[in-house]
Amino acid sequence: MVIITHQREKCIGCNYCVELAYDRWRMSKKDGKATLIGGENKKGFHTTRVENEEFDPNKRAADACPVNIIKVKMI
Amino acid sequence: MRNKIELMAPAGGFDALQAALDNGADSIYFGVDQLNMRARATMNFTLGDLEEIAERCNERGVKSYLTLNAIIYNHDLSLIKTVINRVKEAGISAIIASDQAVIGYAKSQDVDVHISTQLNVTNIETVKFYSLFANVMVLSRELSLRQVKEICEGVVKEDVRGPNGELVKIEVFGHGALCMAVSGKCYLSLHTTNSSANRGACVQNCRRKYKVIDLEDGHELELDNEYIMSPKDLCTIDFLDQLADTGISVLKIEGRGRAPEYVATTIKCYREAIDSIANGTYSKELVKEWMSQLETVYNRGFWGGYFLGQELGEWTDSSGSKATVKKVFLGKGMHYYSKAKIGQFKIEAQQLKVGDSILITGPTTGVIETTIESMRVEDKDVDIAQRGSEVTFSIDQVIRASDKLYKVVPAEEIND
Repeated sequence: MVIITHQREKCIGCNYCVELAYDRWRMSKKDGKATLIGGENKKGFHTTRVENEEFDPNKRAADACPVNIIKVKMI
Repeated sequence: MRNKIELMAPAGGFDALQAALDNGADSIYFGVDQLNMRARATMNFTLGDLEEIAERCNERGVKSYLTLNAIIYNHDLSLIKTVINRVKEAGISAIIASDQAVIGYAKSQDVDVHISTQLNVTNIETVKFYSLFANVMVLSRELSLRQVKEICEGVVKEDVRGPNGELVKIEVFGHGALCMAVSGKCYLSLHTTNSSANRGACVQNCRRKYKVIDLEDGHELELDNEYIMSPKDLCTIDFLDQLADTGISVLKIEGRGRAPEYVATTIKCYREAIDSIANGTYSKELVKEWMSQLETVYNRGFWGGYFLGQELGEWTDSSGSKATVKKVFLGKGMHYYSKAKIGQFKIEAQQLKVGDSILITGPTTGVIETTIESMRVEDKDVDIAQRGSEVTFSIDQVIRASDKLYKVVPAEEIND
C-alpha cells in the first residue's frame, strides 16, 4: 500500500505531477492548482491510499514538485 | 515643468503595504496566490484581501496594482478570469500583466492593464503595439538612459495613446534586485530544481557561490571571490535627476520578497528624492544622506544598473545582504495604553536595554523605528529587560498584539 499526501494550499500550479503521474493528478480548472484524485482533505493535507504499482510515477511527481508539497510513502 | 514621477512601492504583505503608505508611495503593487513572480513567497496576499488593500490605499489616494504576470497555461485560464473579476469588484486600480490571455481578458472587462517587465519592452514600436491594451508600460531593465529617453520622446512625438486616451506612461525600475538574465528569461532555477522563475518560483541559483573547474586538468579557476552570476542591486538615487529628465512617469521599486523596514526606508528616500527634484533642492549632500540610509537595509551592494551604460561585471562579493544594520528578534506586542501612550511587549529572546534602537513591524502598524529612553518591568524602572519579562515604554504610535519587536544593531556585531 502507498500513501500519497498533498499540501494543496501551497501548490503553485506548475503541472509537473500531472505530466508524471497522470492517473493520479489533474489540474483544477477552478483554481489552477493540482488535485490529487481520490484525495481526502484533512486540515489542508489531501491524502489517499493506492496500490503499490502507483508508487513509481507518484514518487517521480513528488521529486519533481518545485515546492515540495507531495509526499509518497510505501507502507 | 514636468509632471511629478509616480513612486511605486512593493508590498509583499500588510506590514510592507502599510510601510509604503506611511512613507509616501504614490502607488503599490502586490501579488495574490500563485500567478505572480513571487509565488514562492509565503507572504503573498489572498483574493480575500483585495477589499482591505483597496480600502487602505484609497484612504490615502494611493493606487493599487495586482501582479498577474506569470506564464499562463490552459489550466490557469479560469483562475485569471476569477482574479480579474475580483480586481474589478474590489476596486483595485489595475493589473500588471504579460500574458496575452490576461491582457485580453482584462481589456474585455475594462480593467486597466500595465505591461510587466516580463514582456521586456525595449523599443517604441513595441510600446505602440501594447498601447492598444495598456496605459502604463514598464521598460526592460537592460536599457540605457539614452534608450529610455528616446522611447519617452517617441511616445510624445508619435502621440502614442493608451485605451484611456492619454499618452502612454513609461515606467522604469529604480531600485532593487537585478537578474543575471534579461529579466524573466532565466531557466537556471527550472533546470536545477524544476522551479520555474517564470511561474514565480525562482530559487535564485545566481545568488550562490560557484567554482569553475577545468575538466581536462582539474584546475579550479580563480574567480576573485566574486559571485559571478549575482549582480549587485540597482540604485538610481544618485542620478535620479538624469533619470527624471528622460521623461519617465513612474519609478518602480523592486522588493515584494523583502522586509517591511526595507520598504519603509527605500520609499522614504526615493519620496524625498523625487520631491527634491520637483522643488529644485536635489543635491549631492542629500544623495549622500539617502545612500547611507539605503545601505542600512537589505542590499547586495549598489550599482547604477544598465542605465549608465557601464561595463558589465558589477557582480556582488557577498552571498546575502550588505546592509549596515541588522534586526534581531526580541518579542511580541501585548497591549497599548492609548491614553498614556505606552506600549507593552513580551520579551521572548535576547534582552532589551535602555538606549537600544528598536524596530516594530506589524500588518496594521507597518514600521516604527525609535530608541528606548526608559522602560519599566513590573512597575519598576529598569535598564535591562530580560527574556521572559513584560516590558512597557512610551511610544507615540499605537502598537498591537500582532506586532513584532526587534533590536536594530550594526551588522558587524552579529558577525563577530
